[in-house]
Amino acid sequence: MATGVAGGLTRSRRRFPRGAAVTLVLLLLAVVLVPLFARLDQQLVDLHAASLPPSLTHPFGTDEVGRDVLLRAVYGLRVSVLVGLAAAVVSVTIGTLAGLAAGAAGGTLDRLIMRIVDGFNSVPHLLFGIFIVALFTPSTTAVVVSVALTHWMTAARIVRSEVLTLRARPFVDAAISGGSRRLRIVRRHFLPHLIPHIMLAAVLMIPHAIWHETALSFLGLGLPAHLASLGNMINDGARSLLAGNWWASLFPGLFIFLPTLAISALAQYWRDRSNPRWRSELQL
Amino acid sequence: MTRALGRMAAWRLAFTAPLLLVVTLGMFVLAKASPFDPVRQYLGDRALTTSPEIARQIRANWGLDRPLAEQYLTWLGNLLRGDLGESRSMHRPVAEVIGERLGWTLLAAGCAMVVMLAASLVLGSLAAWRRDSWADRLISGTAYANEAAPVFWTALIVIWIFAVRLRWLPPGGLTDAASGTVEPADVLRHMILPVAVLAFSQSSWLVLFVRESLITTLREDFVIGARARGLRERTVVVRHALRSALLPFITLLGARVPELVTGAILVETVFSWPGVASASVQAALAADFPLLAALTLLATLAVVAGNLLADTAYVIADPRVRVLGVS
Amino acid sequence: MKPPPRLRVEGLSVRFHLPGATVQAVTDAHFEVRPGQCLALVGESGCGKSVMAHALMGLLPGNASIEGAAWLESGDTPPVNLIAAPEKVLARTVRGRRIGLVPQSPATHLTPVRTARAQLTEALRELGNPDRADTLAERAGLSPSDLDRYPHQLSGGMAQRVVNAIALAGDPWLIIADEPTSGLDRPLVEATMTELRRLADDGRAVLLITHDLRAAQQVADHVAVMYASRILSLEPAADFFTGPRHPYAAGLLDALPSRRFAAIPGQPPELTDLPEGCAFRPRCARATDDCGRLPLPPLGDNRVACHHPLESHVAR
Repeated sequence: MATGVAGGLTRSRRRFPRGAAVTLVLLLLAVVLVPLFARLDQQLVDLHAASLPPSLTHPFGTDEVGRDVLLRAVYGLRVSVLVGLAAAVVSVTIGTLAGLAAGAAGGTLDRLIMRIVDGFNSVPHLLFGIFIVALFTPSTTAVVVSVALTHWMTAARIVRSEVLTLRARPFVDAAISGGSRRLRIVRRHFLPHLIPHIMLAAVLMIPHAIWHETALSFLGLGLPAHLASLGNMINDGARSLLAGNWWASLFPGLFIFLPTLAISALAQYWRDRSNPRWRSELQL
Repeated sequence: MTRALGRMAAWRLAFTAPLLLVVTLGMFVLAKASPFDPVRQYLGDRALTTSPEIARQIRANWGLDRPLAEQYLTWLGNLLRGDLGESRSMHRPVAEVIGERLGWTLLAAGCAMVVMLAASLVLGSLAAWRRDSWADRLISGTAYANEAAPVFWTALIVIWIFAVRLRWLPPGGLTDAASGTVEPADVLRHMILPVAVLAFSQSSWLVLFVRESLITTLREDFVIGARARGLRERTVVVRHALRSALLPFITLLGARVPELVTGAILVETVFSWPGVASASVQAALAADFPLLAALTLLATLAVVAGNLLADTAYVIADPRVRVLGVS
Repeated sequence: MKPPPRLRVEGLSVRFHLPGATVQAVTDAHFEVRPGQCLALVGESGCGKSVMAHALMGLLPGNASIEGAAWLESGDTPPVNLIAAPEKVLARTVRGRRIGLVPQSPATHLTPVRTARAQLTEALRELGNPDRADTLAERAGLSPSDLDRYPHQLSGGMAQRVVNAIALAGDPWLIIADEPTSGLDRPLVEATMTELRRLADDGRAVLLITHDLRAAQQVADHVAVMYASRILSLEPAADFFTGPRHPYAAGLLDALPSRRFAAIPGQPPELTDLPEGCAFRPRCARATDDCGRLPLPPLGDNRVACHHPLESHVAR
């Protein structure tokens, strides 16, 4: 019995990425629980314990000023997630407002806003982010503003296209002929439909926000140095890399790498499930 | 075809002007909203000892009390005339700083792009051709993992392995600290790691794209047709499937300039490569706005140029688009 | 003395495995094609005949399982079982060189980003044909400037001619024409059929797969009728078009506009859900209980897989 030449339907099926889910859950638990229960102060500087390689007492070793890397990494992840969350919320808010205005108003305003979106998209995100942070001196607020101003366009696009779809629906004409004012239509009729898309945009924005913040912090332009941001930690760790300290930069990076990988594995699984690619080439 | 291309180029350039206007205006507005006082910055330590008279004089000289619109137009005018201002941190004309450093960035980024293209095409094709084999799983897996890894983290790992443990290559810089001149061989040695890391970090999407695109194309009727004619498998894959599969990627490549700039910023910083990308970080740390603004504009121009080139290349490559006209 | 070349298909069955269903595309097909003759494989759309061409050339997708044998006896070399032969053998010795495929939609069968000339030249070079592309093009009725166009710039007829030229580039002795007339208007259909007949008269073997009975009549020496994955009858063309022995075949002819123009009541069954026994039973006026339960008689000498065949008009 023979089978056909490669290039047709495959029988592989996507399995739920359990490893990814478990990793995320563990990290989430660590981020939430460790600050509540840890008795060690993540800011404790102990120069006697500087640059110790990984051991049982310090599973991830210590950094150049003696702080435990594992503990700091957990705090760092927490800070990054919180900042990322805040930045995503601000970003999506701006984007939603812009998208609503563009989609609902249409005409010149729409074209203007889209030009502005194109403009913002033409500047590389990190560079623009650096520009903004430099203007307002590095701080948590500056980082949030930086993320917001470089990522609002995605949300604006999504909201605008949804609004345009909604506008074409008959219930809008009904509302207008019933005498409702534009703003009212937007609030009462559009928003309920838009909420799920906005939520999705916000959730998808978080990894980007975290990445942006981490990169800024690594460059020394992000969160203040005393805050255990993962980017800061890698920046600090890099300084002692040439002296042989590999753990201070590797493990914080791992805390960025693993959740990002897990999230993308889950997103991939979800995308495959909702878009079946079983295309049949049969012509019977 | 040249007429269609000319029309498209003109159309695009017409769109570019308002775009750049928006960008420059946005940058100017943000700069004005910043709490930094340029006069204080300029005076630096002397600000405390300088009399308010002189400070006011400087302010007037620079036109800082004029209405905002006028300031913007003056700035824009200077820009168009080629006067980019003076770098506040390096105390030299911005144009000079850029002129010195741009070459190094183009060298490293250019080499990285070439390496990235070659490697991604080969690996992506291999992964698609030998789908689900160990080679495919290794290539795809590495590509996915690479997308999740921050490039500066990867760079540090690479430095650790090759510069600290193995000591095969230098950990950074353009040339050895001891040497006074710039020798090509020395530069080459110093270039290997940054170029490799930049190429590797930029390659994930392309490998996955080539793989996906080729897998889809290999299922198309014309590929079966090519096989049915009795052509060798290699001919079918390279001259028929790949040629067709790669059409969309030309446009995507030009659209990836922003990611390239981002990658260059981080890689140049980690490897202390003296290019314009690392200069932007130094400018930001020193709150040197003339330099930073000029570099941001330069990057924007690169992005726009990249998009235009990509679309042009697409029109040239795909015969069907030429007939249908230009979008 | 060299044995004459022929294609001998024995017990060919093809199944496609989809998530949730199995498609039985071909069941137990037996037929032969010899040089100088044209066998027309006819049937409605969805009966499985289009799978035949790809199955014989080893071009089925990865989820297909195939049983049986298709012996390609080319005279001077040992016979090749097209079903079991490795891909390398098929690619290097069979396709293009011994079997030429004339595909269903020529425009989609040509690579869109390369000119017709490039593809024809490439085929000539790889198949070892010393002729130049322009020569073959002229023989096929194309001008050199036509060759420089891209597939989407060619009309249906021109694309067909290009594809024909490419199919003949390696001088194959067996031509498989897979629905070569779909989408063509009547004059072009007739021209294509004339071309196929010429190929057969030149000494090649032609397997014509089509749903167009009128076209088949123009060119066929033998007619095989396919229904719901099975070949129900295989008769000489003259017998078939005057008085076919299978009730379904008779119904097909009756449905032609030039004859009674009366459609067969009912619909063919889904290939995922074939019944036991004769699949035509629900639509057949001559059906009895036997037809549903017993396995069908094989084609064999009777040339008809039917429990109650119509009377033959040819004296036996």
